[in-house]
Amino acid sequence: MRLIPVVAASVVASTAAYGLALAADVTLELVEPITEYKIYVAENTEELVKDTEEFVAAIKAGDVEKAKSLFAPTRTSYEAVEPIAELFSDLDVSIDARADDYEQGEKDPKFTGFHRIEYVLWEQNTTDGLGEYADQLQADVTDLNDRINSLTFPPEVVVGGAAALMEEVAATKISGEEDRYSRTDLWDFQANFDGSEKIFELLKPIVSEQDPDFVAKVQANFDQVDETLAKYKTDHGFESYEKLTDSDRALLASRVNTLAEDLSTLRGKLGLD
Amino acid sequence: MTTFKPSRPKHHPRGASRRQVLVGFGTGAVALAGGRALAGSEGDEQVAVAPKGNADQLQRQSFYGIHQAGITTARPAAGLVTAFDLIVQSPDDLETMLRLLTERISFLMHGGETPTADPKLPPPDSGILGPVIEPDNLTITVSFGASLFEGRPWLAPLKPRQLVRMTQFPNDALDRDICHGDLAIQFNANLQDTNIHALRDIVKNLSQFMVLRWSQEGSVPVAAPMEDGREPTARNFLGFHDGSANPNSTDTALMNEIVWVGPHNDEPEWAHGGTYQAVRIIRNFVERWDRTPLREQEEIFGRAKATGAPLGAGPGATEYDTPDYASDPDGAITPLDAHIRLANPRTRASEENLILRRAFNYSNGVASSGQLDQGLLFIAYQADLEKGFIAVQNRLNGEPLEEYIKPVGGGYFYALPGVRDPGDYLGRSLVEAVRRRATSPS
Ligand code: HEM
Repeated sequence: MRLIPVVAASVVASTAAYGLALAADVTLELVEPITEYKIYVAENTEELVKDTEEFVAAIKAGDVEKAKSLFAPTRTSYEAVEPIAELFSDLDVSIDARADDYEQGEKDPKFTGFHRIEYVLWEQNTTDGLGEYADQLQADVTDLNDRINSLTFPPEVVVGGAAALMEEVAATKISGEEDRYSRTDLWDFQANFDGSEKIFELLKPIVSEQDPDFVAKVQANFDQVDETLAKYKTDHGFESYEKLTDSDRALLASRVNTLAEDLSTLRGKLGLD
Repeated sequence: MTTFKPSRPKHHPRGASRRQVLVGFGTGAVALAGGRALAGSEGDEQVAVAPKGNADQLQRQSFYGIHQAGITTARPAAGLVTAFDLIVQSPDDLETMLRLLTERISFLMHGGETPTADPKLPPPDSGILGPVIEPDNLTITVSFGASLFEGRPWLAPLKPRQLVRMTQFPNDALDRDICHGDLAIQFNANLQDTNIHALRDIVKNLSQFMVLRWSQEGSVPVAAPMEDGREPTARNFLGFHDGSANPNSTDTALMNEIVWVGPHNDEPEWAHGGTYQAVRIIRNFVERWDRTPLREQEEIFGRAKATGAPLGAGPGATEYDTPDYASDPDGAITPLDAHIRLANPRTRASEENLILRRAFNYSNGVASSGQLDQGLLFIAYQADLEKGFIAVQNRLNGEPLEEYIKPVGGGYFYALPGVRDPGDYLGRSLVEAVRRRATSPS
């Protein structure tokens, strides 16, 4: 979607001092990208429900190896929608919390979801005792999928989500603490970057009018992340986090921090408070 | 960026403020190396004037010169060393990064109004020093580690000849998370907040090129002048004056010999005006130290704890008295393995091992043992790393002090030559040397 040239020109002139181009009613312009984003999220949560069914079935069948092999691929559609996790924070806690979110760590029964299952599968090499957690996970992702349609997507949450997820990757993921038992972090990285980039992509046409350099820089950084992660692709997914070299980790850390820095201006650039 | 306007128009060019004098190097603290003028120092004061703390914040170190500031310039109360890994893939990247870093440092050291932006955007400055940044004696000193050169074929041939990855000494227990780095920055200022503000500015503006590796804060306590009016050195966390025998950093000729690399050193030409920096994070076992008899403490260092005077120097002696080892060949007065005697035996031969120390004390909370995690952020500068830090440390290996200390981190770096004027930038001589190599057939 493009600004009508006349409007764009006057907007740029009046706000040039700030380097901001405020659309008269930016929300109007955002209708299309946000609608499209909602479709993207809905597709992902639908996929998540399906994949979780298979994952849960493997757990219930006591098939440890199969459950392990399905862990990372099942998570990716969840990780891809994480930019807007604040819209369903109650479910996020029960689906994706980590042991260190609880003072008692793994001993706390409230530690549920993907990482509880990951812990038991890898650290204890069994599916024993996972039945309830698996049911809970299935119920949670189904609930999430059901909610999406009726959920309002406030523009500032969607636009801000691109940066918010990069902040999270920078602060609590890049060091490999998310999938600490399975070492499947690179799967999550790819899904997180994809999820954040999706938002950027949808907004690109609007932003590139006022700040083509910004768009080029952000795109180049996403591309470099993709190129770096591509080195670790395997037939089925990704190498273990342990294979990530120090220099590639430093590069990813630099790019994710710069993406967070740059994308943090996205809301302002679009005139959103 | 706007020019910095001090809130008080009158400056006394010679009268260094109290803290400047108190924590400076020995008696030379007032005259800054290279005759750099102090802006905003204090004269006589009346009730209405701002508190001293504010006056200190107006002190400004010049960013420009043939050497970087923060090496031979007086040491203020707060120090911070941060090491980074660099994402620098080409000579162009290196130049862009160094120019950007130069721009940030010149702004931060000079001070001024912080830039602002539309309130819908994140503010360009963290704001932790308010809307006007005062220079606060800030120096930002940039140095390169061996890994920067070694990982890049286009840089490797230009590595300073003695620059290596810091190796383990017998008493070390190095923790890889707080060692080495492609680049180190030493921040020094009157207030730690000023260092932290500068660090945050650099991290924010250079994330495309720089990734944090480790960081260590430290400080030195201020002290009142001695009875004879001379300025004492600061004490370390073992309670001893530290820096007493440091070479006089205001003596330019001496510094050219001990600290600054020049044509007489066997180093690449781009490196002239720079110096080797040895950083060591040395844990002190302070509980144990505090349970050690005073006499033993003093024999371990070879100095009196209260005054810092060399042992046996007689009544009224100060930390600036010179120990007399010639008349004490068996160590009856100063044990042969005392820290200062091993570090500097004061022979003709040991003159080539002189180094310039610029240490800070650190306190990092509680160690996993439940004891205090405190120690010395040791920083030394020298023109010859092997004859300087490495030779001195090798002499110290096995010293009785080792029971109370444990080096756990740090690294060797090469502090870049200075930025001569506003048209210059940090590391220009290196970037130009890289480009010359690229165009000249080898
Ligand atoms: C936690 C560790 C250390 C402590 C607590 C410490 C403390 C001291 C003290 C109290 C002095 C006497 C006052 C002075 O001249 O500054 C001193 C002197 C000295 N120290 Fe250290 N030091 C430590 C580590 C080191 C290291 C690692 C080196 C170098 C490898 C070093 C080199 C020197 C030198 C060269 C002198 C001056 C000796 C002289 O010229 O008389 N120190 N140190």
